[in-house]
Amino acid sequence: MSAGAGAVNDAAHPAGPPPAWGPSLARWLWLGPVLLSMLLPFAWMVAVSLAPGAGGSFVRALAGPWDLGHYRTLFAAAGLARYLLNSALVAVAVVSLNVATAALVGYTLGRRRVPGERWWTLGIVATLMLPRQVLMIPLYLVLARMHLLDSYGALILPFAVDAFSIFLVRQYVAALPLELEEAARVDGASDWLVFRRVVLPLLKPVLAVVAIQSFLANWNSFLFPLIFVDSDRLRTLPVGLALLSQTEHSVDWGFLMAGSTVASLPVLAVFLAFQRQILSGLLAGAEK
Amino acid sequence: MAPKTRGPRAGRAAGATSWAFLSPWVIAFGVFGLYPFAFSLAASFTDYSPIRAGGARFVGFANYARALADPAFWSALGNTALFVVGTIPFTTALALALALAVQPAFRGRTIFRVGFFVPSVVSVVVLSLVFKGLYAPDGALDGLLRVLHLPAPAWLLDPRTALPAIMAMDVWSASGYYMIIFLAGLEAIPRELYDAARLEGASPRAQFTRITLPLLKPTLLFVLVVNTVRSLQIFAEVFVMTRGGPLHSTTTVVYYLYEEAFYRFELGYASAVGYLLFAVTLALAWLQMKTIRPAGAR
Repeated sequence: MSAGAGAVNDAAHPAGPPPAWGPSLARWLWLGPVLLSMLLPFAWMVAVSLAPGAGGSFVRALAGPWDLGHYRTLFAAAGLARYLLNSALVAVAVVSLNVATAALVGYTLGRRRVPGERWWTLGIVATLMLPRQVLMIPLYLVLARMHLLDSYGALILPFAVDAFSIFLVRQYVAALPLELEEAARVDGASDWLVFRRVVLPLLKPVLAVVAIQSFLANWNSFLFPLIFVDSDRLRTLPVGLALLSQTEHSVDWGFLMAGSTVASLPVLAVFLAFQRQILSGLLAGAEK
Repeated sequence: MAPKTRGPRAGRAAGATSWAFLSPWVIAFGVFGLYPFAFSLAASFTDYSPIRAGGARFVGFANYARALADPAFWSALGNTALFVVGTIPFTTALALALALAVQPAFRGRTIFRVGFFVPSVVSVVVLSLVFKGLYAPDGALDGLLRVLHLPAPAWLLDPRTALPAIMAMDVWSASGYYMIIFLAGLEAIPRELYDAARLEGASPRAQFTRITLPLLKPTLLFVLVVNTVRSLQIFAEVFVMTRGGPLHSTTTVVYYLYEEAFYRFELGYASAVGYLLFAVTLALAWLQMKTIRPAGAR
């Protein structure tokens, strides 16, 4: 029942004495190489992107010399800046719409003030299970009919309301005490005012989780943006990069890895900055 | 205050505000969920194609029959099945091993939890491009194998190794995500059980098989179902790394569907393929739930 609150609390154990160095070192000795080998592909990505003459060779890339030549070509010739801008615009729009609608809908469902609340929630869980491959064609047709294909609208509107985000907020609200809202109502505040002034501040932690997760998902989204948009000037970063790799640049590894590095930096920055919320949000989500 | 969480006013009839608050979801669910879902179900029984004149004709189950009679569909289904069967046991085992390794408290534990998760936050397009480069002829992997005096296959250019190469990448990239899910399951097991088992003199191995594994069953089920559903929909990796080739050896069901829908514009037929895959997904999920029934109903 407290899963909603747990979603944002630190999922780690209660603070005990700090673990001893000896056993920790032993674990580092065998886990360290495992981690390093798992991160090796990323090391290759960055190294090759920085070494102009290396081709795909890791050894030659590490030997240097390094410069930013690939990155310059990428931004000057390949229109990467445009892809980056598109990805950023779409991400900001989708994340804000997601947070706003998840707050409104999740709060309303969590407070059970709607007849048939159980059915609404069930409907949301059912949406989660709708397979993307079944929705891909009809969504394309719906967008065509709305004259939204090949526009920012196609990249934003279908993803503005997210069932998982709503569900997260609903669970969180269900575990919140009612007293504050009741007090505000007794004082004569309207539903909107109660939501805006009392509830919204309380929802901040779970809305942060929603924002981070929806940013990560949207930034990396590929299939739908690939289908819904045709013009080069509307492509997001993953789509632009994937299609660039199928042009004359197909074996230009330094160039493609520079693009890959640029595409990865924002998500990595967000992940490293908010890793606690992200991992604990996932931990809580898995308990369901 | 009474400890009851639901006050008398909480259950009151819905006001106009409640409906207004709900409206974004109702509209989005209708326009981008329910309607497309019903539309595609209807379309799967027609020969709908935007490039054919005369509109859609009702064709009954002809699309479904056509898919089931098409060797290309079966080949795509076979590739997808191989992908599922050939990745999930390894991903699950690796994820569980990593989770067990980073569960106990030790200094710097967070570095490992975060590090193993990194492939899960990076775009699949980026991961696929990186591995395409590593697998490339004279690429980094070839160089490594040559140093070790091992034969270097052509990886993505050889129909025999292309799909396994993509599968290996998937195991590598997905394990960290399921590690976190397993961690959630492990942290939910009460410490007292292990303390009691130790008092009784149970070996670490016995503790693992008698306590950890049985109590981890719900998590294991969750991981298997989620990963199966995801693996049945593999697309971006194929699009970026091989375009379904060589010789259709990496054409998965969703890639096949994508080509039918957006190269041949057979939207009615492609919808039917989508529903066939949906049926397979549901059947597999049901089978997994039947086989791994969690100990004690939750």
